[in-house]
Amino acid sequence: MRPTFTFRFTLVTTVLSLLACLGCNTPETHVRRSSLMDYLYPKEKAAPTPSPAGARLRLPLRLGVAFVPGGSGSWRVQSLLAPGQEKPLLDVVRQSFKDKPWVSEIKLIPSTYLRPGGGFENMDQVARMYGVDVMALVSVDQIQYTDPKWYSFTYLSIVGAYVLPGDANDTRTLIDAAVYDVTSHTFLLRAPGQSQVKGSSTWTHREVQLREHSQKGLETAMADLAKNLDAEVATFKAEVASGDRKDVDVVDRQGVSLRQGGGRNFGGAFSWLESLATLALLGAALKLRRS
Amino acid sequence: MNPLALTPDALHEPWRLWTSHGIHFGWEHGLANVVALAVPLLLASRQDRRRLLLALLAGAPVLSLLLLPSLGGAEYRGASGLACLLWALVGLRLAVRGESAPVGLLMLTGLGLKLGLEASFGSCFLLRPDGWQPLPSAHAWGALLGLAMALPPRLFPRLA
Repeated sequence: MRPTFTFRFTLVTTVLSLLACLGCNTPETHVRRSSLMDYLYPKEKAAPTPSPAGARLRLPLRLGVAFVPGGSGSWRVQSLLAPGQEKPLLDVVRQSFKDKPWVSEIKLIPSTYLRPGGGFENMDQVARMYGVDVMALVSVDQIQYTDPKWYSFTYLSIVGAYVLPGDANDTRTLIDAAVYDVTSHTFLLRAPGQSQVKGSSTWTHREVQLREHSQKGLETAMADLAKNLDAEVATFKAEVASGDRKDVDVVDRQGVSLRQGGGRNFGGAFSWLESLATLALLGAALKLRRS
Repeated sequence: MNPLALTPDALHEPWRLWTSHGIHFGWEHGLANVVALAVPLLLASRQDRRRLLLALLAGAPVLSLLLLPSLGGAEYRGASGLACLLWALVGLRLAVRGESAPVGLLMLTGLGLKLGLEASFGSCFLLRPDGWQPLPSAHAWGALLGLAMALPPRLFPRLA
């Protein structure tokens, strides 16, 4: 006996519904990424070589900070953040560096001003527009994993999807800031910032929690980045002073080269000859006092 | 940057005003400064040493604040500014006492010679350290502070 149309329709509908429900319970991964390499070195062009003369940075610096835009079809930061949320994130970096003596001002540059794949040409345009000497380009790599817990099969009951937190959400964020000298296109330094946010949610609340975690992950990673950037600047300064960075020199407010000035670190000191003289004076004074 | 060294950050990290005088760029640097600090302390009487230590404690932040404008973005470490303060303070106080006047005058002459040579050559001419530069103004400010501390007789140590 051949199955009736009604039977076949019911069977197909049931199987599709079951697959749809099971689909709720499979692991999912969301990747959001903006790449510095895609922005500065678009694939179709050869990478421009930095100026052979190297970078000569004159303190105090005017620093520009911007998120790197994603390529076409990939993630853009502003699409994740509501308008106006990009600035608070960049403000974390600005607050960390506003009192540093080597920086005179920090400009927050909206990522909408940076063209995907714009390269150094686009960076130069924006730097000229904002009048900055160096640019910190911030790229983001955020991955969100959602794994079903063992009891996530209760989602099939519909009520479970609203009540039981059967999704384990894990958001990992890596933010990287690369600092370039605008004039010479010399790479100066880089610093990473990372974070991990974990939580559980019901199936219906999953997207809300992923958005919250994404925002929180970015904020935590930016704070970590600001801390690491401070340490990297100190290392960079030491490398320039010791001559390890031959492609970079830093000139301080008095016009003295950091490389030639041995780092311009100062010490109050007595030479060994002076120390011997003080000891001789001590001996003479004690002898005089006894006599 | 060393969190204890003197930098412009000292304006909101005040411990640097004291700690910068206690850290050095190596053991040779530290040892030479300890010798320079020890001599005036040894020449003072035992009961005056506590007052001298108090003078060091009070003088350290003042000296640090005086040095800040000459640092730019750099850092400063070393106790020689304080050593010069002690040499001037103890030297002047000893020089005005009859029995210890020769010792005091000898100390002041030695200090004057050091400062004079540094002023003439623009640097510590006997010292060529790696990675940092001597700061003669630290010695000059230290000596001036020491002389200023030694002048009002009621406020400062009465040395034996």
